[in-house]
Amino acid sequence: MAETMLHTNCTLISSAAGPEGYLDLLIRQPEICRTSRPGQFVMLRGWPGSDPVLPRPFDIVDTYPDQEAFRLIVKIEGRGTELLSRLNPGAELQVTGPLGQPLEDFACSSLALLVRGAGAAAVVLLAREAMRRGVEVITYLSARTADRLVALSYLKAVSATLEVATDDGSAGYHGSALDLLDRRLAKKPPERIYSCGARRFARRVQELDREGRVEGFVFLEGLMACGMGNCHGCAVKKDGEPGYFLVCRDGPVFRAAQVVIS
Amino acid sequence: MIDLSVEIAGVRLANPVLPASGTWEFSEQSEAGTPAASLGAVINKTIFRDPRPGNPPPRLWETPGGMLNAIGIPSEGIDKFLSHKLPQLSSLGPPVIASIAGGDVEEFCELAMRVSDSGGADLLELDLSCPNLGHGALWAEDEAVLAEVLKAVRGNSDLPVIAKLSPNVTDIARMAQVAEQAGAAALALVNTYKGMAIDVRTARPALGNVSGGLSGPAIRPLAVYAVWKVYEAVSIPLIGMGGIAGWQDAAEHLLAGASAVAVGMYNFVNPGAMKEVLAGLTDYLTAGGFASVREIIGLAHRSS
Repeated sequence: MAETMLHTNCTLISSAAGPEGYLDLLIRQPEICRTSRPGQFVMLRGWPGSDPVLPRPFDIVDTYPDQEAFRLIVKIEGRGTELLSRLNPGAELQVTGPLGQPLEDFACSSLALLVRGAGAAAVVLLAREAMRRGVEVITYLSARTADRLVALSYLKAVSATLEVATDDGSAGYHGSALDLLDRRLAKKPPERIYSCGARRFARRVQELDREGRVEGFVFLEGLMACGMGNCHGCAVKKDGEPGYFLVCRDGPVFRAAQVVIS
Repeated sequence: MIDLSVEIAGVRLANPVLPASGTWEFSEQSEAGTPAASLGAVINKTIFRDPRPGNPPPRLWETPGGMLNAIGIPSEGIDKFLSHKLPQLSSLGPPVIASIAGGDVEEFCELAMRVSDSGGADLLELDLSCPNLGHGALWAEDEAVLAEVLKAVRGNSDLPVIAKLSPNVTDIARMAQVAEQAGAAALALVNTYKGMAIDVRTARPALGNVSGGLSGPAIRPLAVYAVWKVYEAVSIPLIGMGGIAGWQDAAEHLLAGASAVAVGMYNFVNPGAMKEVLAGLTDYLTAGGFASVREIIGLAHRSS
């Protein structure tokens, strides 16, 4: 569990347009900056009143000790994120976090990140920590088009190898990032793979995990109200035994073979 | 110094603010929001006899000012509850309300007896909004089964019983009278309002369970009205809940007739909500020149 969790008001330092349809938010909060670990997330609200009522979960992209800040990349897709997109620097936000089980096991020589869309935002801290510990990080970053590649510059800085795939060929490989991964698997498979942001990536990582070819992990999401295990909204079915995990409390990163990917 | 204490069924609460069952659990994270020791009472997520996994997802759906849920009450079962969760709740300081539910009268009675015998709880809350397997209706939505289960539980437990009422009835005041006559020592109201949403992207029900319970600020006027009506119909104390997001909302429930208030969904939005509600209520009472929170219970009913 989180070393400490805070529910606090904090200040928006900057809000930049990210890739097409995304926002890049830098938020000042010293404690969350100091304690956030790979795999963790925050619940965020940035509007007054109770409509929309629920905070939204966002992965912590990276932390910046010199600014006592952390970064979020937000996909604008509903009323809450639309409201966030209108905020100016200096705006007050309500944040709860860091939440979720931190990733602390880096006992491998190489790991691949298979990420798409907003999912790319979730693995930057993981890649940074792995690289710091001498793990070879191979990143496969995918999007529909070049202008929708999320966290490209952040991931470049923390990957030994970064390959891009777009659906329309406007950047990198024209086709699925799974093809790029398959090429790598045929030559020199990574010990581990983490997927985030696409169900078909998660399914492929699960297959590979079940076959024993790699250690597969998946970042999952779920509709959640609290982010801390109280609401039981974000249930994900366990594989091979009855019952559910909670994405917020037991994840959001799971061993791929242990969950049912719907 | 304002006297914040209230009494529910002979049990003294140091203050009137508590969590609604199913929206709070004792944890490091919950403590970071509102310390358990500062609550008027603590309560568990409703327990059944056997472990239950809960409903298939999606379990939540946001609505204007509220949320539909169909969590399905995942339960660890009574054995684990008595060996682990209840002793933990008992160690926190505030009085403990044990929330129980069952599919038949026997299950309610067995749980009531085992919780009573354990000595770990001060009050028993019956979650009466689950289906009654024998009769089909929900316990709290049929006068005869409501009376039956309350009388049976009273015969199997020495603990004062709080009946948690469903608002999905024609006349909640009538159900409150039935519960009072059948031996309820207090009433908790309201549970969630039945509703549903349809996901237009998939053209299917948004919740895995099709329908769910609506909670949040959207239901507050409905809940306050229910408390108002029930206060006039019975003489046992009420725990008011429904849409409490801030101290003003808690004050509304108290003024309408609740002796204590439970924060539900807003514990999800703001883990510090209960702490803020209590602080705001205290300021409100100070500003109003009240010596005790008990002075405002039902105050809105005064004639002049």
